Amino acid sequence: MKRLSVVIAIALIMGLMVASCGPTPTPTTAPPTQPPVQPTQTPVQPTQTPAKPAPEAIEIGASIPLTGKYGSLGVQVKAGYELAVQDINAAGGVYVKEFDQRIPIRLTIYDDESDPTKAVSKLEALYAEQNVVAYLGGAASDMHAATVPIAEKNKVPYCGVAFALWKIHQQGFRYLFSPFPKSPQQAEDTFKILNAAIPEGQRPTKVAIFQETTDWGVELGGLWKENAQKYGYEIVAYETYTPRAESFSDMILRAKNAGAEALLAVPNQPDGIAMVKQMSELGWTPKFMLLIRAPENPAWYEALGPLGDYVTIFPGWSYKVKWPGVEELNQKHQAAYGRPADVLVGPAYTCALVVANAIERAGTLDREAIRDAMAATNLKETPIGPVQFREDGTGIVLNPMVQWQKGQIEVVWPPEHASAPLAYPAPPFDQR
Amino acid sequence: MNRKTITLTLAVLVVLGLGLVPQIIKKDNIINLAILVFIYVMMAVSWNFIGGIAGQTNLGHAAFFGLGFLIARMLWTEHRWPLFPCLLLGALVPVGFAMLIGIPAFKLKGAYFAIGTLAMAQILFITVRNLFPMMSFLPGDELAAYSLRPRYYLAFGSTLLTIAAAIWISRSRWGLGMRALREEATAAESLGVNVLGHKLMAFGLSAFFGGLAGGVFAYYAAGYYYFFPFAPTWTFDAVMATYIGGMGTIIGPILGAVFYVVVKEILALRLVEVHLIVFGVLFILIVLFLPGGLVQVWDKIRHLQAPSSRQQAPEPVPCSPDAVLHSGEN
Repeated sequence: MKRLSVVIAIALIMGLMVASCGPTPTPTTAPPTQPPVQPTQTPVQPTQTPAKPAPEAIEIGASIPLTGKYGSLGVQVKAGYELAVQDINAAGGVYVKEFDQRIPIRLTIYDDESDPTKAVSKLEALYAEQNVVAYLGGAASDMHAATVPIAEKNKVPYCGVAFALWKIHQQGFRYLFSPFPKSPQQAEDTFKILNAAIPEGQRPTKVAIFQETTDWGVELGGLWKENAQKYGYEIVAYETYTPRAESFSDMILRAKNAGAEALLAVPNQPDGIAMVKQMSELGWTPKFMLLIRAPENPAWYEALGPLGDYVTIFPGWSYKVKWPGVEELNQKHQAAYGRPADVLVGPAYTCALVVANAIERAGTLDREAIRDAMAATNLKETPIGPVQFREDGTGIVLNPMVQWQKGQIEVVWPPEHASAPLAYPAPPFDQR
Repeated sequence: MNRKTITLTLAVLVVLGLGLVPQIIKKDNIINLAILVFIYVMMAVSWNFIGGIAGQTNLGHAAFFGLGFLIARMLWTEHRWPLFPCLLLGALVPVGFAMLIGIPAFKLKGAYFAIGTLAMAQILFITVRNLFPMMSFLPGDELAAYSLRPRYYLAFGSTLLTIAAAIWISRSRWGLGMRALREEATAAESLGVNVLGHKLMAFGLSAFFGGLAGGVFAYYAAGYYYFFPFAPTWTFDAVMATYIGGMGTIIGPILGAVFYVVVKEILALRLVEVHLIVFGVLFILIVLFLPGGLVQVWDKIRHLQAPSSRQQAPEPVPCSPDAVLHSGEN
């Protein structure tokens, strides 16, 4: 009895402690050191009217999976945000008409451990304690799906990359913006690129789709199916499989027997590697392979060697695209991390630019005005190219196609950004 | 004023105080954290029925939480049933599932039972992931009106119900029987305890409140995959919270869950880069110096203050019947 009452008292004290202690912000913004790589749109001229006192910084917050299963994606996103904020602050910050001066951005980043529930908590803390005017998103569909409704509830504009799932944009969210290619664009671009890059008569018109039973797999599989006929392609095999399936033999043989010449899929890396190995063993080499996701990092070629060549990907961005500012971004990334910018760095960098640009055009730190300015974004020069947004918050952005060629990832589409032409048709696996 | 009155008064004050939190505290991050604390308290207390009181290490608790989430969420968001029938069904279906698997599973003992339940939960996790791979968002009207306040009260009420059930069971003949079989099943059986019946009772209670926690989470989460609540992390979190607080006691899982959620969150916000390491060290220290959980803190303090009483009163072992009886002897 006595212990019970003491323990209740301890619980009460703990509760009070929690209620009283707000989180200490952990700004990760580096001090201004370098000139901006990408200026935002022309600043509004200072006005003559006296401005009200400006805040010390513009608060922007992000909850990113820096540890856990999405840790490898999260660190890329974090690097992109931080490089962008460094560049913006190096120019003195963002000009805000309401205060008639440039104000630096203070970016607070929390680790959500790849746990959507924790990501929600972090977004609530950023709103309540840091009073952020905008959120920058984390990485992966499930993390965004959990956090975007919180942005909506708090009416805080949200810019996120590293997810292609269109369904998130179909919920009527007003505050969500994503300058990153989504499934409908990927599905349509697949056939547009094939038609543009390969002469009629040589195209792989008989297509096999290996659909993973995940939300993105279902979504993209259906969209590929819808678009195929429109662009003159026939789906001769539509096979489904569960993630981490060990054997793909049945579906490979069905696709082979149906005479499929192209393979489209969104496997995770272990599944993608197993798929290609088993295709090689079963003697089926599609002339064209688009495997989104699995081949995106060097582990692909380390596991497959030449078998991994000729596979194409829609990574969302590449450090080899030829937009202005990419070279400078690569140099900064090289200096900080010892390699050119990773695949999510460019889109994440752009996301921060989009927010800064929207604040500047809004001329205020009012969240609703920033949201409206984000919706009207029309950036011409960013590391991912021109950026605009559709009504549903999806970005009108370039969706480059890359391809493994002799152990290197080359940009093969669009031609003006290509570092190599599309290698087609793929030679049989046993002749490589 | 006797101790019972003091405790009751304190308990009523705590309940009233917690009931007023959403009216007093306007910051949503605190309300959100409190909801998570309630859900974790429910998970830990419900796991404690089978794992702590009855002494059967169930590593498949996520299956109950997941089923509760799945049933409640689907009925509520897709079939647009009223919330409370959804929550009730979300709690009852896991009970049916527990009875179905309990009879064969309880033929296993010790580590085999733990592995068996873990395997069962994993099978369910993979099956649900394959059957329902899509993401679940709240319907548009619910999203537009989303507020943490009603979610707080639902989680709070459900937590009170769970704790009340734990207190009731600890004082009942059922509770005595469960503790007896935890200590020595054969001896308990020889004294007339229906071992399988008591195990099923504990399993059923654990499933009901684990499922109810899943239903509350279904009402709370704005965007979530159907299969995520089946992930083993929900089991391990409940087990860890119970171990931190003190297994087999009433207060232990509550304290453990509060500590587990609140301290982790504070560390994550204050020590972004190293929070996991710091929490890991903290957990190891608790296991080393408080093997009976946080409920031992008071005993340690009491013994430090009155060294002579140590010779008279034996050191309580939280997992022993004494500890359970002690906590439930009010």
